Amino acid sequence: MSGFLRGLRLVVTIDLRQRVRTVAWYVLLGVFVVLVAGVTALLVLATDAFLDGGGGVFSSIVFFVLLLGTLVSPALSANAINGERDAGTLATTQVTLVTTTQVVLGKWLAAWITALAFLAAAVPFLVFAVALGEVPATTILVSTIVTALELGVVAAIGVGLSGLLTRPLFSVAVTYLVVAALSIGTLIAFGLGGASAQSEVRTTSTYVDWMAVERDGVPPGEEPPCLPPETWTYDVPRFDHVWGFLAANPYVVVADAAPASFDDRGTPTDLFTWIAVGVRQAQHAPELEVVFDECANWTPSGAVVDDESETPREVYERSVPSWFVGLAAHLLLAAGALAWAVRRTATPAHRLPRGSRIA
Amino acid sequence: MAGIEVSGVARAFGDVHAVRNATFTVEPGHVAGLIGPNGAGKTTLLLMLATLLRPDAGAIRVAGFDPLTDPAEVRARMGWMPDLLGSWASLTVREALVASARLYGRSTDVATARAGELIDLVDLDELADRPTRVLSRGQKQRLSLARALVHDPEVLLLDEPASGLDPVARAGLRTLVRRLASEGRTVLVSSHVLAELEEMADQAVYLSAGVTAAADEIARAASTARDWRLRSLDPDRLRVALDAAGWAEVARIDNLGAVVPLESEEAAAQLLAHLIGSGVPVSSFAPAVGDLEHVFLDLSRNGEDDA
Repeated sequence: MSGFLRGLRLVVTIDLRQRVRTVAWYVLLGVFVVLVAGVTALLVLATDAFLDGGGGVFSSIVFFVLLLGTLVSPALSANAINGERDAGTLATTQVTLVTTTQVVLGKWLAAWITALAFLAAAVPFLVFAVALGEVPATTILVSTIVTALELGVVAAIGVGLSGLLTRPLFSVAVTYLVVAALSIGTLIAFGLGGASAQSEVRTTSTYVDWMAVERDGVPPGEEPPCLPPETWTYDVPRFDHVWGFLAANPYVVVADAAPASFDDRGTPTDLFTWIAVGVRQAQHAPELEVVFDECANWTPSGAVVDDESETPREVYERSVPSWFVGLAAHLLLAAGALAWAVRRTATPAHRLPRGSRIA
Repeated sequence: MAGIEVSGVARAFGDVHAVRNATFTVEPGHVAGLIGPNGAGKTTLLLMLATLLRPDAGAIRVAGFDPLTDPAEVRARMGWMPDLLGSWASLTVREALVASARLYGRSTDVATARAGELIDLVDLDELADRPTRVLSRGQKQRLSLARALVHDPEVLLLDEPASGLDPVARAGLRTLVRRLASEGRTVLVSSHVLAELEEMADQAVYLSAGVTAAADEIARAASTARDWRLRSLDPDRLRVALDAAGWAEVARIDNLGAVVPLESEEAAAQLLAHLIGSGVPVSSFAPAVGDLEHVFLDLSRNGEDDA
């Protein structure tokens, strides 16, 4: 096992040593820091008025880091294997005593570490946001870890595709498409999927005949005069069938994973919790038979309508944590991509990608 | 135990049969030239020996191990210099060699010492601490050779090692390859520059359209008539002497002297004795083409006749 780790570390070191000598990499990191700084400044100005400081800024910065990280990561990871093959250095590594698994995992770790550098560069701004307001330490910890994991997932998909596809340009483009599918495609699938599978809601309402009450009065202890029940129907989207799409969204994973924070009326206090409540709300099937009976709750001074609507906190607490489902699916996807890349890159090779040479 | 043993190996890419039937053996201490025209399957064959490509059929042993079932054992004993030059562009020459040695499981100290030795050996001292991307083609070729030697392998596979080298470096390569063989290593060198192999290799594997030539074919090709080039200080006297000996019809006279096709070395010796005996001042008497080239050309000619 120590031999395995030693070879792995060697592959990572060789890869990283080349990356840190590329000027473009520092330029990219600099541009990233400038962008995050700008966004932080604007967020502080924008949220000062109506959000209570740090929470909103913190979650927005985390999302922004995730956005830029997932945009940069494919370019850093998706040419790892086919790029080496083009440069002629893959085969000379494969004839040494490191195994294909070590090469692929090493490339992935190097790409991940590179992406993590972006997260690390954003840490000062996260600290600043924390200093602004009351962000629980658990929120900081969990959202940073989950963001780091999501960057690792994108790096794994990139490295995996670079082992499956021959042309670096093509694998980078496909990795971007996968990132877009996860970030935006899941939202589209959720919205359209929910809207296309609609169900009919039947509402039955029974009202007190207030005109008769005015005219005749109601003797104490007697039933009020009631109007005949009125029934009507309308369609609602069934998001409970498609909430899985939303759970697969990396932003939702980060938001839902962060510990929720509610005020004493059960209302979320930060962006992450609002998103989490929205996503978890979608898990529940809408009530298809709604009965509203004013008569049954009659009192002489007016109807007592039972107010049983849940607080966001109650919705949150009676639902499945969707980040768990989403993150598990992402990790599975990442592991699958890497395993497939190992299989396709293994030597002695069984078949070669069309038009490529192994050397 | 043979250094390299190949029998009945075949490998196709889709419907392209790169190697159809390769059979040969190279013993330790020998340098074998792998000879064939472009597209004959030389590189494919070397990739199979280098544990990178799986043969469709046949058996391979490199340093006694099967690349298919024991790739790690083969890799520990085999050095491969690819035809495609690649290097980690932003690492220095020294770093690249240290990294390669480490990939072969050497400790950092051993790897550093070995890198120093190899930089000396392939004469890259001045460039040792420059990034490999600044190297010229010939210098990269030397780095690639050094990398193939980094773990002191028993078997060396060199794919077109001399292309891009200047004459001095070629001479150096020749000496180095001969020395490596004399240390008991097995060397297989592919090239289509036959003159170069002629001076390096002591045995040849002819590969044409994916098939290695059998020993009897080689013997037959070697014994066919070949051209000898004659030069004399007195061209007129040479012509007269050739006429007198009955060579006038087959000899081709040009301004450099004459080219005469001769069946065997004995015939050549007889002709030379005759010319000297007739008082012709012969200044040069040698085969017009090298041994390898002669066999190679003859084999490819037969190949075309068959087709």
